[in-house]
Amino acid sequence: MIRTNRLTQSFDGVIAVDALSLEIAKGEIFGFLGHNGAGKTTTIQMLTTLARPASGTATIAGHDIGTDPLAVRRAIGYVPENVRLYDTLTAAENLIFFASLSGVAAPERRVNQVLDLLDCAYLADKRVGGFSKGMRQRVGLAQAILHQPEVLFLDEPTSGLDPMGIKMLRDLILRLNTEFGMTIFMNTHLISEIAKTCTSIAVLSHGKLVFHDRIEAVTARYGDDAALEELYLSLTPVGRLAEVA
Amino acid sequence: MSGATSPSWLIARQSARFVLRERTVALLSLMFVVLVLISAWLGWSATSTVNRIYLDAAAFLKSSGQPVPTNPVLDISPLSLMRNMSVYVALIGALSAIVIGNRLVGLDRKAGVLPLIGIRPLGRSAYAGGKIAALAGLTLGLALVASLVAVATFLVLPAVTLTGLQWAQLAGFMGVTTLYMGFFGLIGLAAGAAARSETVGLLLPVTLWLTLTFIFPQLTANLNPTAAINPVSALALPPDTTFFHWAARILGPFSLADAYKFASAGLLDYLPQGITSPSFIPPILNLILAVGVALALAWRALARLSMTQGGYNV
Repeated sequence: MIRTNRLTQSFDGVIAVDALSLEIAKGEIFGFLGHNGAGKTTTIQMLTTLARPASGTATIAGHDIGTDPLAVRRAIGYVPENVRLYDTLTAAENLIFFASLSGVAAPERRVNQVLDLLDCAYLADKRVGGFSKGMRQRVGLAQAILHQPEVLFLDEPTSGLDPMGIKMLRDLILRLNTEFGMTIFMNTHLISEIAKTCTSIAVLSHGKLVFHDRIEAVTARYGDDAALEELYLSLTPVGRLAEVA
Repeated sequence: MSGATSPSWLIARQSARFVLRERTVALLSLMFVVLVLISAWLGWSATSTVNRIYLDAAAFLKSSGQPVPTNPVLDISPLSLMRNMSVYVALIGALSAIVIGNRLVGLDRKAGVLPLIGIRPLGRSAYAGGKIAALAGLTLGLALVASLVAVATFLVLPAVTLTGLQWAQLAGFMGVTTLYMGFFGLIGLAAGAAARSETVGLLLPVTLWLTLTFIFPQLTANLNPTAAINPVSALALPPDTTFFHWAARILGPFSLADAYKFASAGLLDYLPQGITSPSFIPPILNLILAVGVALALAWRALARLSMTQGGYNV
């Protein structure tokens, strides 16, 4: 479903993503781990066609991000780390606009369906300006699935959410994956979430892929959450620093 | 997608609706409409007063058996009573257009929704086209209001009747007005898309507007700032010196307030005999060229707008 081949990005000569080659199968929930500045968001920006890679290629649902970006955009949904919407419009007005841009045939009806699906129909007529982080995240998720994408990209979806919000989001992600068969690509810092949600994980350090395996293999080899955290820390610069100390 | 639901149309409709909710835009547009009404009232009032005095004087002269001269209202073109409108367009109309252009893209940037728009199946050209279409619609809307006020004024003035040619000239004036406001709107759009900060995005076009309205006319026609916006006294020949000769040659094509003023004066029949534009390019062509350049700048700025970042960098 997602395939990258030596995908590379650099800013002012500094390599942010270094020859990333990945393969993610249809229906997977893929957890992309890495320290701050590792290149996770940059990877998502390239895969969602928001930024052009410096070199390398990638395909999403069989469409090349470089040569067929419009087809890629039809196949994907994206929830940025900080969901930002038109604050002076209501949630429904925002969603109708994004649904229309995505080519949804009956946007109003679809928006109501999605808000019901995400248990947030009560937000429809409220102005987004007064929403909490959790509410925004829900509307953010709603805008991403309006057109029933095959692949959903989530950039730090649980960042800034309270435990209740994290659980709610985790349940929604699992539901979207199991009920609608969406492939999910999720950037995250939370190791505990990876174990509870993901079917495969990869670790990025300074733009380089340093680990990639299925979650069963990881847990079989390294054990529980604590062991998973040990693994992550050993692969990242902070972990290596601790080893030296 | 059909035309009515094409991405460009959706962007244009959403942007226009969103901008119209902005208090600054609404206030400036309202001010423009009020000033247009005032300009029409000034023209109507001046013409009515002269007409009334003439009718009283004519009645008196007639009763005393003296010859009655022709009505002075009929000696000048009735179109010239709209001359104050060109002043308000050059001032508040251009400023409104800058703010509208700036907010059309600035609001998306400020709201931080560009990544959510950028991942939709629409090309950058659709986004740019939508924004430019929204600007065109709003500018035309303002010009339409001004046109309706002008038409209403001519229809309610009993002493004034326009010929077919004069109605066409009035339509031409409204076209030139749309071009002039469109130029500033496009510059506002380009700066709103290209500037790193919201403040710079607004200051740049406002500085250009100040320069074109108050500074360039001084260099090309030796007009002081007050005269530059006065539709009657501003239309005078510059001093016959080498400096003004070369200033007019070099800066004339860029002196857009002058071009608009001369185009308006020509179309509204108040251009004094023997006075010509300081630019070697005819005023209307000058405005069309300027709009073409501004359109290219706005298109380039919108097409290069980064969709990865939500808001402004500063």
